[in-house]
Amino acid sequence: MSHVVIDLKASLRTFLRNKSTIFWTIAFPSVLMLLFGAIFSQSSMKYDLYLQNQDQVNGKATYWSDALITVLNSTNAFNLQLVDASINATDYAIANRLTSLLVIPSGFNDTANMALLTHGLMIANVTFVYDQSTSSAPVVRSIVMSIVDKLNFELSRGVEYLNVQDLTIAPKRFGYIDFFLPGVIGMTAMTTSIFTAVSISARFKENGVFHKLATTPLKRYEWILSRTIYNVIISYLGMAVMIIIGMAVFSMKMTLDVLSLLMVAMASLMFTGLGMIIARFVKDPDGADAAANVVTFPMMFLSGTFFPLSQMPLFLQSIAQVLPLTYVNDGLRAAMIFGQSQQAIYNTALITGLGLASILVGSVITKWEEE
Amino acid sequence: MDGLTKRYGELIAVNSISFTVDRGEIFAFLGPNGAGKTTTVEMLECLRKPTSGKAFVLGSDISKDQEEIKKRTGVLPQDFYTYERLTVKETIQYFAGMFNSHPDVDGLIKLVDLEDKKNAQFKHLSGGLKQRLGIAVALVNDPELIFLDEPTSGLDPKARHGVWHLIDGLHKKGKTVFLTTHYMEEAEVLADRVGIIHNGKIVAVDATDRLISDYGKKNLLILKKTNPKIIPTIEKLGIEANYDEATGDVTVHLNHAVAVSDILRALTSSSTPFGELQLKRSSLEDVFLNLTGETLEEESRI
Repeated sequence: MSHVVIDLKASLRTFLRNKSTIFWTIAFPSVLMLLFGAIFSQSSMKYDLYLQNQDQVNGKATYWSDALITVLNSTNAFNLQLVDASINATDYAIANRLTSLLVIPSGFNDTANMALLTHGLMIANVTFVYDQSTSSAPVVRSIVMSIVDKLNFELSRGVEYLNVQDLTIAPKRFGYIDFFLPGVIGMTAMTTSIFTAVSISARFKENGVFHKLATTPLKRYEWILSRTIYNVIISYLGMAVMIIIGMAVFSMKMTLDVLSLLMVAMASLMFTGLGMIIARFVKDPDGADAAANVVTFPMMFLSGTFFPLSQMPLFLQSIAQVLPLTYVNDGLRAAMIFGQSQQAIYNTALITGLGLASILVGSVITKWEEE
Repeated sequence: MDGLTKRYGELIAVNSISFTVDRGEIFAFLGPNGAGKTTTVEMLECLRKPTSGKAFVLGSDISKDQEEIKKRTGVLPQDFYTYERLTVKETIQYFAGMFNSHPDVDGLIKLVDLEDKKNAQFKHLSGGLKQRLGIAVALVNDPELIFLDEPTSGLDPKARHGVWHLIDGLHKKGKTVFLTTHYMEEAEVLADRVGIIHNGKIVAVDATDRLISDYGKKNLLILKKTNPKIIPTIEKLGIEANYDEATGDVTVHLNHAVAVSDILRALTSSSTPFGELQLKRSSLEDVFLNLTGETLEEESRI
């Protein structure tokens, strides 16, 4: 065991002296976080909501319709786009490919007053026109619903028969950065582990480091254990930096539980094993690096690191289903951000299995010397 | 070693070799590149498994007691290389840790004369310094036997002499040194005994001087730009002499029966003038040529 500690200390010392590995494991993902966070978090925090107010008197919004619009605006959830009252709302929405459009019908003010007078015997309706096939519309709809009900509650002055009980909470909203952070953590664990495993396995064979190590009592499995622990530590380091940036710069809220820690460790194991397998078959170091690029590059973009899978064409989505990083990213997202513990457990279990299998295969086939 | 053999498919890299190395000697395993030197030494270091045959290192069987052998030997591999970003001192400490040994690290650094480089990273060392560090690393476990595989290959003459000096120092400390080389001069300068390997087979194993006297040409005395008329004077002493028309030199074949001083006396008493005198000792180069019918390729000359 002391051999593992000695080799681990040597490799961590080496890490601190190598500017390029520090760049790729810490600086590069940090820059990605800051950059993508800055670009996308602004726009994705707000949804576009088109609104047509037909309830106008002499071109002026009536009291209640104005009140509703004011409330919608005050939530800051939407970029409100007003649509001319005279046109056909449904046609307009189709023609302009709108995902959601809210119509306040004429007479809304009167009906609202009546509802108030009759304590809810009459109901004032608004119409929500939306495209079911898009992912944003249901979110917009649920926010609108909760706002309308909030307004209902104020109108009813606490009288319960207006069906307001279960609609006081606005749904929790997620921004792009919430999506992106777990992805960057997964991606960094992947690139660090694969590249470290590939380049040291191939390079140490080529330059003779393995040859020298083989003449010492250090066992091959001890060395592999040390390098695997090293990769896990570096992946955790990347994770810590991302979390600090997420909290400090983007005021993110997230949970860091055993599942997400286990997921990162197992992802690191899986990719370390994959790297060793690549290095076994591509022997010269430059070729091995190229092969590692071939493996990591598509995974980076197709596994839902930068954009949600749902935004990709179907055939790319089906490719994503077989890429292990997809399950790492989704699992981390489920555990750290969405709090979907079932999916987190499922994905972590899957990656644990794959990780153990991959490191086992990698360890068995990695040779220091040709006999 | 007894009938040690290593095959790679059809190729027989090492073909049933048998010899013994004595404790405390410097043994040079000499042969051209590709002769099977490294394969042999790597079998002894327990890095490769022999196809057949037996070998014992410090009394331990290479096919059974690998761990024991690794603990008690030190190895300088061909083209020694280690973690690029560890310093000289850290490298020695790292390998000491691997052997669970606690050597005098500063003493080792001093021994290989790397004191002003002890905080330099491995990748910043020159070839000669890398080899010297490699020798220090081979000593971390205070081994009884040290394998040095091509210790001066690719080094400039100055660095080479530095390494030779180090190896000689190890010998004086009573260590057994098993050295492979394709440099004749290296074997001649350092080794007590030499084994010559050619195409995977041992062609001779003996003490260095005995090999030279047995298989080398006789030592020569060359009289530069000298009239061949002097030859009868020399032959009267009962030794052979030739005239080389191309160079104009007279070559005298020395043997043990006649002392060089007697030849010189005969020459000075003769009336024929002679040119500059040159004494040429026979070397391992001639031994190798005589035994294999081949010269070492140009690049392997020093």
